[in-house]
Amino acid sequence: MDAEARLAAALGAAAAPARDPAFTLAVIRAAEADRFKTEALRSMLSSGAVAAAAACLMLLLAGWTAVNWQGVQGGILGAGGIFALVATARLMTQRLAPAAAR
Amino acid sequence: MSPNDEARLIAAARKGDSRAYAALVDAHQQAVRGFLRRFAGHWADADDLAQEAFVTAWRKLARFEGRSSFRSWVSGIGFRIARDAKRAHGRAQVRDSDWLNEQDAGEEGAPVEDRIAVTRAMAELPDEQRAVVALCLGEGFSHSEAAEILKLPLGTVKSHVTRGRERLLRALETEDGR
Repeated sequence: MDAEARLAAALGAAAAPARDPAFTLAVIRAAEADRFKTEALRSMLSSGAVAAAAACLMLLLAGWTAVNWQGVQGGILGAGGIFALVATARLMTQRLAPAAAR
Repeated sequence: MSPNDEARLIAAARKGDSRAYAALVDAHQQAVRGFLRRFAGHWADADDLAQEAFVTAWRKLARFEGRSSFRSWVSGIGFRIARDAKRAHGRAQVRDSDWLNEQDAGEEGAPVEDRIAVTRAMAELPDEQRAVVALCLGEGFSHSEAAEILKLPLGTVKSHVTRGRERLLRALETEDGR
């Protein structure tokens, strides 16, 4: 056997792996684990971002309320008045509707 | 596997079909593992690196543009992972070749002395040259495929093949002289 043929045989034999289903399985398991980890991290980050945004809004609202308490009080009273008016109107409509139907 | 089958499997794998990806891994694992075994010089490490290369490829599949074959693309990822791992761990290039002695020489078709001499000579080649020799002489990749995988000019790949072959042949001749 000449040197070229010996080299080809030695290079081919030294590292030629057989097809291994266990290798494929290991890759797919690792890939699925990797995907699960990435998705869990993404979901955690997005939940964290939403929670942080909500906390920021609450803080801003609390600050604004403290500064404009008079206005907020007026607003609450006004909203309460409107709510009471609407509730009374609905109650009256419900009572009057059966009488009108008769 | 035909290019059409491969494209179909890649499209399915991009949508998250792990069975399609398993088929791709099954079809190309021998080439990628063979290349990394020759490049890394150690079977267990090489299979771990090949696994990491396939997992990275799965993660980056959306970025695969199809300019090269899937086999070349994954081999390139494997090469960069192996090179970075070697740099990070400061591994010695010359590996203990005792594991070769455990193999059945008759079954493999090449004398164990030749395989040890070639493995040792491979370990002494510079990284790029070893990668080129592993791809072109070991796995039968074309020069242009190796250039694409290793991001090297075609002329550099050709000269690495010539010089690498000469050094491996010299190692065999030295082995004969002993």
